[in-house]
Order: sequence, then structure tokens, then C-alpha cells
Amino acid sequence: MNRSLHRIVCIAKNAFREAVRDRVLYNLVLFMLIIVGCAVLLGDLTDGQQDRTIVNIGLTAMLFFGTFISIFVGVGLVSKEIEKRTVFAVFAKPVRRSEFLIGKYLGLCLTLLVNVIVMGAGISLALAFAAEGRLAGTVWGSVFLIFLELTIITAVALLFSTFSSPSLSALLTFLVFVIGHLSASLLELAKGLGSQTAKFVFGVLYYILPNLAHFTFRTETANGLWPNSAMIGGGIAYALVYVTILLAIAITIFSRRNFK
Amino acid sequence: MAEKIKYNSSHAASWHGVFGLVIFVCLGFAAVYGLSNFIERNSVRVPEDYSDSDLSLEGKRLKGFSLGSEGLLADWYWMRSLQYVGDKLAKTDVEYINLEDLTSLKPRLLYPLLDNATDLDPKFLSAYSYGAMVLPSIDPKQAIALTEKAIANNPESWRMYQYLGYIHWRLKDYNEAAAAYDRGSQVEGAPRFMRMMSASMRTQGGSRDTARAMYQQMLDEAQDQQMISNAQFRLDEIDSLNERDAIVSVLEKFRHVNGRCPNSLKEIQPQLKSVVLPNEKQFKVNAAGDLVDPTGVPYILDHQACKAAIDTVNSKLPPG
Repeated sequence: MNRSLHRIVCIAKNAFREAVRDRVLYNLVLFMLIIVGCAVLLGDLTDGQQDRTIVNIGLTAMLFFGTFISIFVGVGLVSKEIEKRTVFAVFAKPVRRSEFLIGKYLGLCLTLLVNVIVMGAGISLALAFAAEGRLAGTVWGSVFLIFLELTIITAVALLFSTFSSPSLSALLTFLVFVIGHLSASLLELAKGLGSQTAKFVFGVLYYILPNLAHFTFRTETANGLWPNSAMIGGGIAYALVYVTILLAIAITIFSRRNFK
Repeated sequence: MAEKIKYNSSHAASWHGVFGLVIFVCLGFAAVYGLSNFIERNSVRVPEDYSDSDLSLEGKRLKGFSLGSEGLLADWYWMRSLQYVGDKLAKTDVEYINLEDLTSLKPRLLYPLLDNATDLDPKFLSAYSYGAMVLPSIDPKQAIALTEKAIANNPESWRMYQYLGYIHWRLKDYNEAAAAYDRGSQVEGAPRFMRMMSASMRTQGGSRDTARAMYQQMLDEAQDQQMISNAQFRLDEIDSLNERDAIVSVLEKFRHVNGRCPNSLKEIQPQLKSVVLPNEKQFKVNAAGDLVDPTGVPYILDHQACKAAIDTVNSKLPPG
């Protein structure tokens, strides 16, 4: 068990190093430019409301940057190894496919964690500079929820990449991201339909697809609110369960895959 | 040798190519510049009333479809509403803008913009307060509707009741104003001022003291520049009215004693020194020794009426 954990940690570290080498963290530069631009330019445009605007723009940019990293790096985690044939070198060693997949997943999650922490610090600094520190602490509740959301998107990307081409995987993951934010509408739609079968289908879809609205708290954060413990605790549990399900499916598919 | 000549000739040809490309690009952009101006000059002009674009006014429909970015969209609508009124003020050719009545600016999109912003983010208090300050001089019904919406979405915010009371007060509907202040005073954390205002509205709703108390409270509580400017403007206006009343009273005494109106306001300055203005305010005099209004612009003496008047060209205060 300990050896297995050690192997997973090794693969995760390598995946993180690979992401850094691939200049994934360069997105932080662009993010910082956006935030600094907001801090400097929004004072006059927002008539003293730059704090909430910095929060809204910063957190939305954080989610979208994070999502693009999750999707584009996530779909390449496995496919790149197969394409370059490096996967054979890994599996020639005593490494299980499940360990490989979990390690890769955790490595990207670590990259995303570093990403959101630096971005969160950037938003807090911008607020300290431009808005006398208002909302500088409050943003961290939302930053944590965004990270949880990104862990789910990464797992979705990883799942698709185990059986599909990178471009199709990226497209499908992006669609899941969009639908995940609209799942409340899916339930509303199900309620409004006359047909029982349609109601059942949409109801099932609502629960099968990830409900990413559970992690959306950006507008409330801009109004100075904190997510409550139920939202944080429930969010952690939801993300854990959902990621576990997705990884279990991904491992099953990946274990049966023939690389020849 | 032959190779060198060949190289030189191909090198020269390549430079010719680059030179030709640069000229082509320059000419191309010159044509683009000319064409742009031509199209701009000859494009179909929309009538004045259609210049406000309505295309962006259905933003509230995006609620639930913006991937959780409702707050960001609300901010966009908020910024647009600020720029919208700012643009209208900047572009107007009206000499004097009456802040009591902005209908001449035709700012018909302000309410939809603020309505969208607050639909997308129902807790956006600054948008409500901006609406409560500006909308009464455009359409009081819309101002009341927006503020009622603010109260429905933020029942814990006593300030929204204060704004509702303010709007009713501006409409001289003192009973409704008193009721709004009264409801607001029952909100947890509401200051004593709310209860006092409720009583003032019932007993002396139209008085200047009530107005002063209300604007002073707004200035103290203001969280954005728009609110600060508006409250300060109103306080200056009230101060100016008090000052002009006092000046008129001294002018009347002067005329009674001397049988004429003074040649300038400087002539009555010694008498004005003994006048006690409300709220312990004092008359201000500029470096040239002229009596100035609260915005620092000298008062004008209207010899015919023997009254002090606002210099409407230089002062921002209303003449009335």
C-alpha cells in the first residue's frame, strides 16, 4: 500500500514538473496583467465599486483559465504518453495503470492548486492596492470552491481522454463544463415537461451530470458573503464522490485498453 | 564568380520583393483609411431617438445561462448605466441642467440598465442607491419600483427604506415617506435617525431642516462617489438658500434705512457678519473680498429686485 502510494506521488510530482516545463503556469502572467489592469483602470469606471468588479473579473478569469488548463492539459495527460510511446517505459516498471492514472490526475490537481493560490493572492493584492483591502479575505471561500470545481473538470477530461481523441475529449469536457453550470435549468425543464418519460430522463441527467452550480459563489463573494459550512463541506464531499466515480470509470477503461 | 553574381542578383531580387511588399502594405492601409472614412461619412444615420441601443437590454435573460458569471454581467450593466448618464450629460446642449428634472436628457435606458444589473445580482446595493438618487428626476415611478425591488431582495438593509423614504419625500408624499422610514427603523441595526426622520416627515416634511438632515445622513453613509457628489450638491444648495434668505433680509433692512439698494454686496458685509445662519454655518468670502456661494462662486447682486442671485454661468447651483 505504501509502495503504491509512493509510486502515485512520484507520478504526480512528475506530472506537475511536466506542466511547469510546458509553461502551463505562464497563464499567471496574463492573469496578473488582467488583475493589475482592473485595479488601475476600474476606479473611475465603477464609481467606487472597483472592489466587487475586481472580485467578479478576477474569480471569473480564475475559473476560465483553470478550466482551460484542466481541459487542455487534462486531455493530454494520457494521450501524450501513448502518442510518444513513453507509456511503455512506465508500464515496463512495476506501476499499475490505476496508479499511473491517479498520479497523473493528482499532478494536474497540484498544478491547478498552485495556479488558484497564486491567482487568489493576486486578487487579494489588487484589492489591497485598489480597494483598501475590502473583500481581500472574502475571496478565498470562492477560490476554494473554484478549485473543487476544477478537480471535477480535470477528472472529466481524464475520463474522456482514456477512450477518445484529444480534440474530441476537449470538446466533450467543455460541453460537460457548460452543461454542468446549466444543470439547474435541466431540472426546471424536467419539471415543466408533460411527459413522464422525459421528466425521468432529464431528472436522471440532472443527477448524472456534475452540478457545477454547487461551486458557484462568485456573485455572492462580490457582495461580501462567505460560503457557509454546509456549502464548503457538501462541496468537498460532492467533489470527492464525483471524482472517485469518474476516476473509477477511467481506470476501468484504461486498464482494458490495448496499446498495441 | 558566376555563383557570387547569381547570389547577388537573387539577394537584390529578394530586397526588391520586400520593398515592394512594404509599399503594397502602405498603399493598402492608405486605401483602408480612406475607405473607412468614406463609409463612416456615408453610412445611414439613425434618428436621434433610436441612437440608444436596445439590443443589450435583455441581459436579465442570461441569468442562469452565464456559467455563474451573473455578478460580472451585473457589473457591466452598472458601468454602462454610469457611462450612459455621463454621456448624456456630456453631450447635452442644454445650458442649465436641472437636477430635479432630467427628462430633457431622455435617459430612457437608465432604468432598464439598472433593472438588468439588479436582476442579475439582486444584492447589488450600489446599483439600487444610484437608481434611488438619479431616477426620481427622470421617472419617480421607476425609482419607486427599483427601490421596492431593493427592499424585497434586501429586507435586512435599512438604507433601502431610507432611499424609498427619500423618493416619496421628493414627491412631497410625506405620509408614504414617513411610512418608509418607519418600516426601515424596525430593521435590525437601523440607526435612530430613521425613527427621527419618520417623525419629521409627519410633522414638518417640507422643511429645509428635514432636507438637510436627510442629505447629511446620506453624505455620512455614502459609499460611492455619485452619492457623495449628489448629497454634497444638495447640502450646498440648502446652505445657499439659507444664505440668500439672510442676505435678502439684510438687503431689505439696508434699503429701509438708506432708501436704496446697495451698489454691491460688499457694502452689506459688515451687517452680514452678525447674522447667525442655521447649523452654525458662516458666510464665505473669497480672496477678492466677494461674498461667495457654497461652491466658491461669488453671488451676484440683482439691483432691480435688490436680491442676491446665483451666478448661473459659473456656479453649479440652481438659480431658484
